[in-house]
Amino acid sequence: MPDSRNRATLPVQAGIGLRHPHLPTFLAAPQPAAWLEVHSENYLAPGGPRVAALERLRNDYPLSCHGVGLSLGSAEGLDAAHLERLRALYDRLEPEAISEHLAWSTAPDGTFLADLLPLPYTDEALTLVAANIERAQEALGRRLLVENPSTYLRFQQTDWDEAAFLSELVRRTDCGLLLDVNNLYVSAANHGGDPEIVLNALPLAAVGEIHIAGHARVATAWGELLIDDHGSPVAEPVWALLTTTLRLTGPRPVLVEWDTQIPELPVLLAEAERAGTCLRESANALG
Amino acid sequence: MRLAELQARMRNALLEPGGFDLALLALLADAPDQRERRLAVYRNNVRHALFSVLEAAFPVVRQLIGAECFTATALIFITEHPPQAPVLYAYGSDFANFLGSFRPLAELPWLADVARLEWARNEVLFAAESAALTPDQLAMAPPEELGGLRIGVRPTTRWLASPWPIHAIWAAHQPDGPPLETVDLHQAESVMIWRRDGVVCQELLTAGEFALLTSFAARCPLAEVAESGLKSDPALDFSAALARWLNESVLEEPIMDISLPHACESSP
Repeated sequence: MPDSRNRATLPVQAGIGLRHPHLPTFLAAPQPAAWLEVHSENYLAPGGPRVAALERLRNDYPLSCHGVGLSLGSAEGLDAAHLERLRALYDRLEPEAISEHLAWSTAPDGTFLADLLPLPYTDEALTLVAANIERAQEALGRRLLVENPSTYLRFQQTDWDEAAFLSELVRRTDCGLLLDVNNLYVSAANHGGDPEIVLNALPLAAVGEIHIAGHARVATAWGELLIDDHGSPVAEPVWALLTTTLRLTGPRPVLVEWDTQIPELPVLLAEAERAGTCLRESANALG
Repeated sequence: MRLAELQARMRNALLEPGGFDLALLALLADAPDQRERRLAVYRNNVRHALFSVLEAAFPVVRQLIGAECFTATALIFITEHPPQAPVLYAYGSDFANFLGSFRPLAELPWLADVARLEWARNEVLFAAESAALTPDQLAMAPPEELGGLRIGVRPTTRWLASPWPIHAIWAAHQPDGPPLETVDLHQAESVMIWRRDGVVCQELLTAGEFALLTSFAARCPLAEVAESGLKSDPALDFSAALARWLNESVLEEPIMDISLPHACESSP
């Protein structure tokens, strides 16, 4: 993997996901956000006011670029044209961190499904995903943080549990882990597991960034399904799990995501402030 | 099952309507009575994500046919024309053509052209910047060279002609727009859309102005551009159109390439 030690890193503070409705507010005046994260695919257009806004804001805030389209889990390998687009974007923006998901979104026929779809955790998938991560890190010239997904179903074909699968990916590719605490909680709830057991089995030394967000609860014939919709405040059990996580990992950059029913910016900043308090408490606990 | 086959089956299950593939459901580890509901979460996510892109790009089409009809139409489009790249700002480029051949909406013959107008607005919003030709730059050109200047049109400018009043229909669906009842539906219209300071602008074109833009885009020498405009519309005020477009940053700096002498002759 190319050397990325000379690059800046994200501040160990709480940042927010920058979404289109808040661009004018950020352009009008500096906002109390320690760092920003954007979805890379929202800024691939060759021009226009959104790209211009991000290029301006990038000078004032540390930036993380979070990919939602590379499809690390695609059986047919990565889309070379998309790698090229991302490479050009990252070379221009020089983000402090880049990340992708342990999921797939491009089908073998090239159809892009615009969602983070689940993988069976098999030996075959492990080999494929590891090769895809290595290729992405090589082509992008940067280390990737790979995010644990929220899932709603499981496959019978399984050789690994999710935490072991991620640990093995980290070991084989030297990628980092983007630990999404809300996803951890949602997946555990949807599959009847204990998120703390999964947490303890994850490769925590590799955590380069943490995500938190809100989720929805949907009633079904057999009970509740939790949907990772990023459309509400972070739930209390997720805050508690964040505290537990930070105790294990030590302070790490934390990001608050909010993607549907996006609130006024102060609501989002207040969530980030609470995450900042969790970070300071975890630093104090370590002495 | 190999991962490639699993993903191909999931692709179909998530995009296509109707019951889920039983062979796919049989691969899930969840309780049998929960499998369809769990898979449906992903189907909803996929549809919602792609539908939201179309909804944002075609707000006037949505108003013209109503939210319910738009949803049903968009879902058929998504099934038949899912995106082929993870670049969603470009998703929907063939929605207008789809609408044009979609029989249930054949009684709204202007719908496809209104969709073309909305897509042109979308393209203008995301188009690359290029150096605009300013009034000062043109004023500095030696008079004897003016007629030979090959001025271009910026990528942030689009123009289209329709046998229908697409601009009036569009305007009637903007906040505070005039009522649709005042629109003469038998009026042909041509429209120019351009970006200025990050804002998408739109105005009607006369036949002469339309011919001018087409000739500019073909990089014809300025003298020929003027001729082509006057041929389409003897009443055209060429200087006024040129001055307005220079002020609006519609045009691109001239190129010096003399290897293009006939490029303009093939243009309409």
